[in-house]
Amino acid sequence: MNKNWLAMAGILLLLALCFWANTSWNGYALRLFMYLGLYITLSVSLNLVNGLTDIFSLGHAAFMALGAYTSALLTLPLAKRASAFPSLAEWFQNLVLPFPLALLIGAGIAALAALLIGFPLLRLRGHYLSVGTLALLVIVETLATNMTFLTRGPRGINGIPTYTNVFWVWGFTTLCIYIVYRLKHSGFGLAFGAIRQDDTAASSLGIPTFYYRMLAFVLSAAMAGVVGGLWGHLVRVISPHVFSYNITFLIVAMLVIGGLGSIWGSVLGAVVLFLIPEGLRFLESAKLFGLELFGLSQLVVAIMLILVMIFRPQGLLGRKG
Amino acid sequence: MKKSLVVLVFTLLSLSLAQIKIGALWNITGGMSSIDDPGYKGMQLAADQINAAGGLLGQQIELVVIDGKTDQTAVANAASRMVDVDKVSVVGGINDSTFALAAGSIFQDASIPFVIAGATLPDLPDQIGDYAFLVPFGDNIQGYAGAEFAFNDLGAKTAYVLYDTAYDYSVALQGFFVERWTEIAGSDSVLLTDTYKSGDKDFSAQIARLNALETQPDILYIAAVPDDVGNLVQQLRGAGLMQPIVGGDGWDTNLLIDVGGEAAENTYFTTHVSLSNSAENVSGFVAAYTEKYGNAPENGFAALGYDTMGLIADAVTRAGSTEGAAVQAALAATSGYSGVTGTIVYAEGSRVPNKSVTVIKVEGGQFVFAKEVTP
Repeated sequence: MNKNWLAMAGILLLLALCFWANTSWNGYALRLFMYLGLYITLSVSLNLVNGLTDIFSLGHAAFMALGAYTSALLTLPLAKRASAFPSLAEWFQNLVLPFPLALLIGAGIAALAALLIGFPLLRLRGHYLSVGTLALLVIVETLATNMTFLTRGPRGINGIPTYTNVFWVWGFTTLCIYIVYRLKHSGFGLAFGAIRQDDTAASSLGIPTFYYRMLAFVLSAAMAGVVGGLWGHLVRVISPHVFSYNITFLIVAMLVIGGLGSIWGSVLGAVVLFLIPEGLRFLESAKLFGLELFGLSQLVVAIMLILVMIFRPQGLLGRKG
Repeated sequence: MKKSLVVLVFTLLSLSLAQIKIGALWNITGGMSSIDDPGYKGMQLAADQINAAGGLLGQQIELVVIDGKTDQTAVANAASRMVDVDKVSVVGGINDSTFALAAGSIFQDASIPFVIAGATLPDLPDQIGDYAFLVPFGDNIQGYAGAEFAFNDLGAKTAYVLYDTAYDYSVALQGFFVERWTEIAGSDSVLLTDTYKSGDKDFSAQIARLNALETQPDILYIAAVPDDVGNLVQQLRGAGLMQPIVGGDGWDTNLLIDVGGEAAENTYFTTHVSLSNSAENVSGFVAAYTEKYGNAPENGFAALGYDTMGLIADAVTRAGSTEGAAVQAALAATSGYSGVTGTIVYAEGSRVPNKSVTVIKVEGGQFVFAKEVTP
């Protein structure tokens, strides 16, 4: 009961913050606030696989790419269609879907991809599984680079309408945190935990390990798909190499810094790894002592990662929360 | 401590005195840094010179510099910060269309003119909107120039084409080269077209396919971005492929000679300016740059950065104001701004200038001027 009231108060507070941000923050602060929400969602959704079960996935960005491309293609203004995608069928040239539907289809395609790839992939264990998910990332990026008729290849898709706003982002962030929280603190969470600690023991106890791993993998992919869609409609340009190693490893680093397995840890990791580099920007160009410090923010993040690994290998919040 | 306080006060003071804020958006770190950093330095040099000469409209220029980190999201955030926090009047910078597109829509929405220093995608300004302008020629011009130079001056009859699929720039550039090349050398004169992706370290597959050709091509045309060219020439020459290599302005980087070494010999590339040119504006720029930074301009992008600032200053002066729409109109009406990289004229309705193309040859570990081509 007490906990529910706390959650309600938190959501109301967040809603108020969103209204305040939307009406009186400047565009830059608002943009950062939205990216923050997206990064939190990414890290919380990856936590569902990497933290709660024993799948250490490096392919999260691939699902983002699927969601981003799907949603961008389905909502691109008609005026841009014929010139951008001359070789596509006529029904596509005239098809513009509402944003929520496009997002949902994007999530569906990401989930479907996870389901299909999950059958061979989730039979693997440990490092082999990680490398397998990394291969997925490479495959999706290569497809996006080479299927020029559909993705415009490395040139990417631009002129994507700006639909993403602070309510979409934080609404979805809240939903994801809620879903992952409920999963973690339920029978599912216990099953996930059992699989993580010893999947042979878990299956000997009658836990259908494959089913649970697949469930976590697909759900997490669907969430990443929605984030990809929101991402595209915020930056307004997407290209294959945006959804690549950099972002995958950034999300993994967020998880590790915050504490693998902890929901609030993944939130904290996202906050730390996104806001600190952004906050150091003003220092980079301030020319202290006549020195230009470009690259400082990357350095600080790297040092921070090393320090956390040495002094708090379990992450800032550990596995709790 | 005392010293830092003095510096802080001094910085604050200089901030409060500065009047015209101009955004300098460059990828100073990351994969683009070998061309963006010189561009930024060139822009800073021009701003310093203008300030020393009394400033713009009687006010001093303050460059608001933000590093885009060769990352689309970071570039978009930087653009947003310039618009909303720093409230700049005009922005210059960026050497690649991928990043120009991410930043461009933000400046376009805010009606802030965006002068793109080195991205050469011809339809880039049209994709962004009427507040975007290019300082360099479009890739169509340099692709055509590369083809004409290879055919007329190198006497080549057949070509091999290799390009990087990861950038708009390289995909478009090889397209324009092939278009003109097949026009002048015949439709079957491209013996093989192959691709790679920026960041690839091993080109042995491409080299094997090239070696397997029955007749070897007279030239190798390679559309690449700066990071890869040194490695490319190393491996090609190492495999015994000694033909002249022709490339675009992505080859205009010290990495070509630093990484490529002797393998870089006998390569040609089309670019914006020859820094060994003895014309007064070029030699004056090179001297001033060398004096300020202790080394000669690394490549032509330094000159483009310098011209970016000059073009902005010229437009602001003619507009008599820093208001976005007025500066945009003045930029669009530019009809003969004489810069280090040539004279900039925007034809009616176009925001890509007509300029001549410089061809440079690598000889004895140096960039040597080869020819000026107007395709």
